[in-house]
Amino acid sequence: MVSLSKRMLAEFIGTFLLVFFGAGAAVITLMISAGQPTPNEFNIGIGMLGGLGDWLAIGLAFGFAIAASIYAFGRVSGCHINPAVTIALWAIKKFPSGDVIPYIIAQLAGASLASFLFFASVGPDALAIGGLGATAPFPGIGYMQAILVEAIGTFLLMIAIMGVAVDRKATPGFAGLIIGLTVAGVITTIGNITGASINPARTFGPYLGQMLLGGANLWEFFPIYIIGPIVGAVLAAVAYNYMSADTAT
Amino acid sequence: MKCYICAQMGKDTDAVAVCIVCGMGLCMDHAIREEVDIWEGGYPFPSEKMEKTIPRILCPPCYEGLKGD
Repeated sequence: MVSLSKRMLAEFIGTFLLVFFGAGAAVITLMISAGQPTPNEFNIGIGMLGGLGDWLAIGLAFGFAIAASIYAFGRVSGCHINPAVTIALWAIKKFPSGDVIPYIIAQLAGASLASFLFFASVGPDALAIGGLGATAPFPGIGYMQAILVEAIGTFLLMIAIMGVAVDRKATPGFAGLIIGLTVAGVITTIGNITGASINPARTFGPYLGQMLLGGANLWEFFPIYIIGPIVGAVLAAVAYNYMSADTAT
Repeated sequence: MKCYICAQMGKDTDAVAVCIVCGMGLCMDHAIREEVDIWEGGYPFPSEKMEKTIPRILCPPCYEGLKGD
């Protein structure tokens, strides 16, 4: 196994790519549709161009970035690029306790740098119009509803990871593609509910960017994107282990 | 089985191994033993190099081909 510092670097780069291209796609969608009147308050601008297709496009941007990162860094660090995944694997005793905090620090740092570099690449409109792709509950969605939705979305992500990657019986080679597409599917459905973070780091980066670059203060929503994903991921990991455990007959 | 390479040179030598790629019989002089590293793990776990290796017997042409020489 490569050193912890190299694995942290892989987690840092992987999470950077996820946020730069994924959250960046949401920013660009909002910038393209800026100025057009929205048909209802549930529509904040994503959906003005192609309805649910806007969310599919954003989801695929996330999915392709995740797939590329998994194929590039999967053997180096495991390419969790998501604190909820790291914690879930630790919870089922498949990841060492001592590596959990370093992995999460690397993921949060990578996500943060991505938000700052996206702002530097696109300019002030990335913050003023796109909000750096920060997630928040959509109009009419309550705090607990948002936690529930994030938990269910992350449950699907983690159950896919368990089935196509963690399980030794899984067909090798498909994990990156399937998990990327799973994320795309989750975002398509729950994007217009919570922003579809399903990853505390993915929300942390844009929140920190917003705070330090003079944008909105959204930290009151951060517990949604910590509790929901971690609960969903741990439940999925535990449930998969239970369902797939061999029993003698 | 006889060594194919020796047979081409007009010699009659018993084979002691078979090339894992082409199936050619090989004597001790022409068998090349490669030790292949074993890696376990991969997404979502870091890969680990195992202490043990897997032996692979190759003939000279396949060895050169696989090494890209």
